[in-house]
Amino acid sequence: MKFLVSFLVLVFAAVAQAISSSGSRLLVILEDVAEKAGYSKFLADLEGRGFDIAYETPKSESLSLFHLGERSYDHILFLPTKSKGLGPNLTPNILLQFINANGNILLTLSSSTATPSSIVSLLLELDIYLPADRQGLVVDHFNYDALSASEKHDVLLLQPPGALRAGVKDFFSDASVIAFPNGMGQTLGEGALLAPVLRAPATGYSYNPKEQTETVDDLFASGSQLSLVSTMQARNSARFTVVGSADMLSDKWFDAKVKKVGEKDTVKTGNQEFAKAISGWAFKETGVLRVNWVEHHLNEEGAGNASNPKIYRIKNDVTYSISLSEYSWDKYIPFTVPESDDLQLEFSMLSAFHRLKLNPTISSADSTTYSSSFKLPDQHGIFNFMVNYKRPFFTNVVEKNTVSVRHFAHDEWPRSFAISGAWPWLAGIGATVTGWLAFCTVWLYSAPAATRESKKTR
Amino acid sequence: MAVATDASSAPMELLVSVGKNQSTKTLLRVLILCFIAAAAVASRLFSVIRFESIIHEFDPWFNFRATKYLVAHGFYDFWNWFDDRTWHPLGRVTGGTLYPGLMVTSGAIYHALRALTVPVDIRNICVLLAPAFSGLTAFAAYLLTNEMTTSSSAGLLAAAFMGITPGYISRSVAGSYDNEAIAIFLLVYTFYLWIKALKVGSVMWGALCALFYGYMVASWGGYAFITCLIPLHAFVLVCMGRFSNRLYVAYNTWYALGTLASMQIPFVGFAPVSTSEHMPALGIFGFLQLVAFLEYVRSAVPSRQFQTFLYVGLGGVFGVALLGLVGLTTGGYIAPWSGRFYSLWDTSYAKIHIPIIASVSEHQPTAWPAFFFDLNMLIWLFPAGVYMCFQKLEDEHVFVIVYALFGSYFAGVMVRLMLTLTPVVCVAAAIAASQLLDTYLVYKSPVAPEAKEEEVTDGTAKKSKQSALRSTSQPVVGIYTLISKGFIAGAMTLFLLIFVQHCTWVTSNAYSSPSVVLASRMPDGSQHIIDDYREAYQWLRQNTKEDAKIMSWWDYGYQIGGMADRPTLVDNNTWNNTHIATVGKAMSSREEVSYPIMRQHEVDYVLVVFGGLLGYSGDDINKFLWMVRIAEGIWPDEVKERDYFTPRGEYRVDSEASETMKNSLMYKMSYYNYCSLFPPGQAQDRVRGVRLPDQGPVLNTLEEAYTSENWIIRIYKVKDLDNVGRDHALAASFDRGNKKKKAGKKRGPRVLRAE
Repeated sequence: MKFLVSFLVLVFAAVAQAISSSGSRLLVILEDVAEKAGYSKFLADLEGRGFDIAYETPKSESLSLFHLGERSYDHILFLPTKSKGLGPNLTPNILLQFINANGNILLTLSSSTATPSSIVSLLLELDIYLPADRQGLVVDHFNYDALSASEKHDVLLLQPPGALRAGVKDFFSDASVIAFPNGMGQTLGEGALLAPVLRAPATGYSYNPKEQTETVDDLFASGSQLSLVSTMQARNSARFTVVGSADMLSDKWFDAKVKKVGEKDTVKTGNQEFAKAISGWAFKETGVLRVNWVEHHLNEEGAGNASNPKIYRIKNDVTYSISLSEYSWDKYIPFTVPESDDLQLEFSMLSAFHRLKLNPTISSADSTTYSSSFKLPDQHGIFNFMVNYKRPFFTNVVEKNTVSVRHFAHDEWPRSFAISGAWPWLAGIGATVTGWLAFCTVWLYSAPAATRESKKTR
Repeated sequence: MAVATDASSAPMELLVSVGKNQSTKTLLRVLILCFIAAAAVASRLFSVIRFESIIHEFDPWFNFRATKYLVAHGFYDFWNWFDDRTWHPLGRVTGGTLYPGLMVTSGAIYHALRALTVPVDIRNICVLLAPAFSGLTAFAAYLLTNEMTTSSSAGLLAAAFMGITPGYISRSVAGSYDNEAIAIFLLVYTFYLWIKALKVGSVMWGALCALFYGYMVASWGGYAFITCLIPLHAFVLVCMGRFSNRLYVAYNTWYALGTLASMQIPFVGFAPVSTSEHMPALGIFGFLQLVAFLEYVRSAVPSRQFQTFLYVGLGGVFGVALLGLVGLTTGGYIAPWSGRFYSLWDTSYAKIHIPIIASVSEHQPTAWPAFFFDLNMLIWLFPAGVYMCFQKLEDEHVFVIVYALFGSYFAGVMVRLMLTLTPVVCVAAAIAASQLLDTYLVYKSPVAPEAKEEEVTDGTAKKSKQSALRSTSQPVVGIYTLISKGFIAGAMTLFLLIFVQHCTWVTSNAYSSPSVVLASRMPDGSQHIIDDYREAYQWLRQNTKEDAKIMSWWDYGYQIGGMADRPTLVDNNTWNNTHIATVGKAMSSREEVSYPIMRQHEVDYVLVVFGGLLGYSGDDINKFLWMVRIAEGIWPDEVKERDYFTPRGEYRVDSEASETMKNSLMYKMSYYNYCSLFPPGQAQDRVRGVRLPDQGPVLNTLEEAYTSENWIIRIYKVKDLDNVGRDHALAASFDRGNKKKKAGKKRGPRVLRAE
C-alpha cells in the first residue's frame, strides 16, 4: 500500500514535469549570447521539450553552478568558446563537482576553436583524450560531402551508428545520414564508464590543420579508434557527453542537403533527429531506469507472507522481485531487457552463491516486474540480494538488500522419532529405562532387610 | 592478685563457656563466614569507587551484550541467537558458540529481583555479579577444607584466604563480568561435592556433583580441568589400591550424569565423546568397570586362575581400547588434541604454529614473581599444607595432592591458569596455617599437669583439654612456654596482617583498572581520567549508520559491539583465523591491496589505536607484528614479516623504517597528519621514543573521520569508488590541484580502444 502511494506520487511528479527525468534547468555556455542564433533550431527544440534555458558566457560574474551547496542547474550545454580558459567559475574541479552532484553535461567541440584548457583537463580526468595542442580535424577522403567539402574533405557523412554491441539498446539510430562537419575526434581510455556513440569510418583520421606538412607522421588516431561522439556515465549515473562537432547542431546543418562522394542523389541530413537523440540522452530524457520497488519474501507453505523480512533461515525457499521502468522522453514505460542480455540477481556473501536470471512476470502500463525464486544456500551469514545492472546508455541499477540468513533453530529439526536412523538409539533408551525399573523392582522386593544391612557395611 | 584474677576470670569464664556451646559456635562460624563474604565483596569494589559502575576490559563487554540480549528477548531467542553484528559478513551462531551459564545466571537474578519488585539495572547486576559470587566461593572453600581436616579453623582460614587472595581477585573485581566470575565458585563447589560423594559413596552426592559440573560446563571452557582432574584422582586412587565401592558409585554417577548434562550445552555438544580432552574421563569410566568386574571375579574364582585371567583379560582389554582410540583418532572420529592444549605441554608450540594463541598476553608463561604477587605468603604455606595431606593421606588428601601438582604445573605454563591453582593453594595453606595456630594458640598447655597456666582456668579445663588433645592427636608436640607461643602466634598474626595489606594493595593498584578508562596522575597528584575509548565509541554510536561496519584489530571487537553497537569484522571470540588474517592483511598491506579487501567486506570505517601522543604502549603499532604474522600464516607469499624490519633487523617507525612498513595501512593510519601537531622537525612518538619524519604519510583510499582527544583512537572512513572511474591516488592528486600527466608520454606502442 505504502509503495503504491509513493508510486502514484512519483507518477504525478513525473507527469507534472513532463521533461527530463532529472530536472529542467539547462545552462548554455557560449562565447557570446548572440551566438545562440546559429543554434536556434536546436535550442528551440530543447525549449519545446520543456527545458528552461539560461545563457551565460564563461566570464560572466553572475555565473555560478552551485548556490548554497546545491546545484543551480540540472544540465549544462557547452557550445564552443574562443577563450583559452573558462574563468574561475568553470574550473575542472567545479565541473567535476557538478558531475558528482548528479548534473549532466553536453560538451561540443569544434576544430576551428581551440578547446579551453579547463575542458581539456576535465576530459583528461574522465579518460577522454583530445589531439595534441587542442587542434585536430577529422577528415575522410572516402566519406565526405561532395557539395560542401569537396576540397577539404572535412564534412563526414555517416550512417546511423547502430547498437554498440549485441545486448546494448540503440538510442541513436533514428536519423538517416548524419553530417559531421569540421569536427574534432577523441580517443577513449579503457574505463567501463565510457562508451562511444559515433565512431569515425575506417578511412577517417584526425590531423592537425596547423601543421603544414604533406604527410601525417604522428597520427593521433584513425578509424574506429577515433570517437566522434562519446559518452561517459558516472557511477552516480550523471551523464557527460562529448559531441566532436558543434556545427552539426547548428541550423545550417539541420537543413543542409548533402551528397556523399561517389553517389548521385542529394539527401537531407538527419542531424536534427540525431541532435534530439543525443541531447535527449545527455539530459536524461531517455535511457533512465527506475526501480519502483524491490520485494522478497518466503515462498513456503504455511509461512507468513511478510514482505522483505530482515532474516531468513538457511535452505528457505525465497522469491525476489524487482519492478523496473524506463523513462522515455516524457513518461515511464515498462522496461524490457534488450535482446541477448539478462537481468541477473546475485545472492552473495563475499562472493555470489547464486547468480540467477530474473524473468519478467507482471507487466503494467509503466513497469515490468522481474522475479526469480530459489532456495537459499546452506550457509548462514549476512547476504545481499544484489541486482547490479550496469549497461552502456542505461542509468545504473544497483539494488542491494541485505538480509541475515540464520541457522536452524533448536526446534526446527525433525524430531528424533521421525528419523528412522534414530530408532535403534530410541530402542536403547527404552530398554535401559525398562531394565532399570525392572532391576529396582526386583531389588526392592527380593532383598531381605538383614542381608542388605550386611552388604552396606561391607 | 587472687581477687583480681577472680574478678577477671568471671566474665572470662562466661565468655569461654559461651564459646564452648555448640550452637554458639555455629552462630559464630556463620557470623565469621558472613564477615569473610563481606570482606571479599568489599575488597572487589575498588574499581567501582575509583571509577564507576562499568564493565571492564574486552570479553566482559560481549557477556554484557549477550546478557542484555537474553533479558530483552528471552531464553529461547538467546539459545537460537544468530548474531549478524559480529564477524561480518559471516555472522556468528552466538547461541551455540558461547557458555550461557553466566548470562543465564544474571538473567535469573534480574528476573528474580524484578519479581520481588526491586527495580535494578541489568548493568549493575553484571558489574556486581563477580563480587557476589566471590562470597560464595569463600563459602565453598570453607566446605571443601572442612572435608580435609577436622580442625574447625582451617575452613574459616581457607574461606578468608579465598576471599581476598589477589590470584582470584584478578578475575573477579566488580565489573569483571567474565565466565570466571562464577566458574571459580562452581569449580570449588564441584570439587567439594566430589569429595563428599567419594567419602560417603552416595548416589545423591554424586548426582549433585554432576549437577554442579553441568553448571560449570555451561559457564566456562575451563571445565575441562574438572573433566581431567576427577578421572586422574580416581586413577591415582585405583593405582594406590584404594579402589572401593564408594569410588565406583561416586565416579560412575558423576560421569554418567555429568556427561549427559554437559552435552546439553550446544557449544559442547558431542565433544565429551569425540575429542581427546574428554577421553581420560571416558577411559577411567571403562577402567573402573573393569576393575569392579575384576574385584568381583577375584572374589569368585581361586587366586591362581585369577592371576592368568588378570593378565590376559586386563592386558587384552587395555590393548584393544588403546588401539581403538588410536584408530578412531586417525580415522577422524575423535578430534586430536587442540592447539591450545599442546601449548600447555610445550610452551613454544603456540609461538611456532598458532600465532593467534601466542598473541594473547594471558597465554604467556608465568613469570615466577607473579606467584608471590598473586598469592603472597600462601605460596610458602602451600607446600606445607600439601605435606600435611601426606601425613594423613585419606582419599580426599590424595585429591589435594593431585590437584596441587597439576594446578602448579598449569599455572606455571599459562598466566591465566593461576586462577585454577588459587583454590588449592588456599585450601592447603589454610590446613598448614590452622595446624600452626591450633598448636600454638592453645592458651593452656596440652600435656603436663605441671603447666603453669592450668590453675587459672581450672574449672573449665577438662573439656578443652580433651578436645585439644584430640585435635593434635600426637600430643608429644607440646608447646610449653608462653614465649614461643606468643612469638609464633605474633609472627603468624603479623604475616596474616601483611597478607591482608598486600592483598588490598595489589587489588587496588593492579587489578581494579577497567582498562576501558585509563587513569593517570596530574602533577599535583590528583587523578586524571583518560576516556578516549568511550569518547570514540560514543562518536561511532552517534555519527555512523546503524549498520556501518567497523574494521579494527580483533582486540576491540567486543568493545565496539558493546559500546558503539556497530557491526565488526572480527572480535575477541577468535573462532575464524582466516577472517582475522584477512583483517591482518588489510592492515599490513599497501592501500592498493587493502582497498579491495575492505570493499569486499563492506567496511565503512577503520578504527586504530595509537598511543604515540600519550605514550600508551598497548597500541596497534606495538601489536602490528602479530597482525603481520597471522596474515603471513595464510598468505605467506604476500605478507612477509621480514619486510617490516629494517635491513639490520630492527622494528622501527621513524625515517629509517622499511618501505613496506611505511606503506602499510596501519602505519599510515597511525601517523596520518601526526606531524601537524608539532613544530617542524619535532614530531615525536612517545611510545617508541623516536623522532618522526617531517613528511607524514599520504592516505588516498581513506579519509580521517575522527580522532579522539588524546589521539588514542583514530577512525577513518573508507572512501567510495571514484564517481568518474579514476583510481584513488589520481583522484586525490587531482583534488590537491595537480594536473594529470598526459597519456602518450609512455614509451612503446600506443594501444587505443577501438571497441
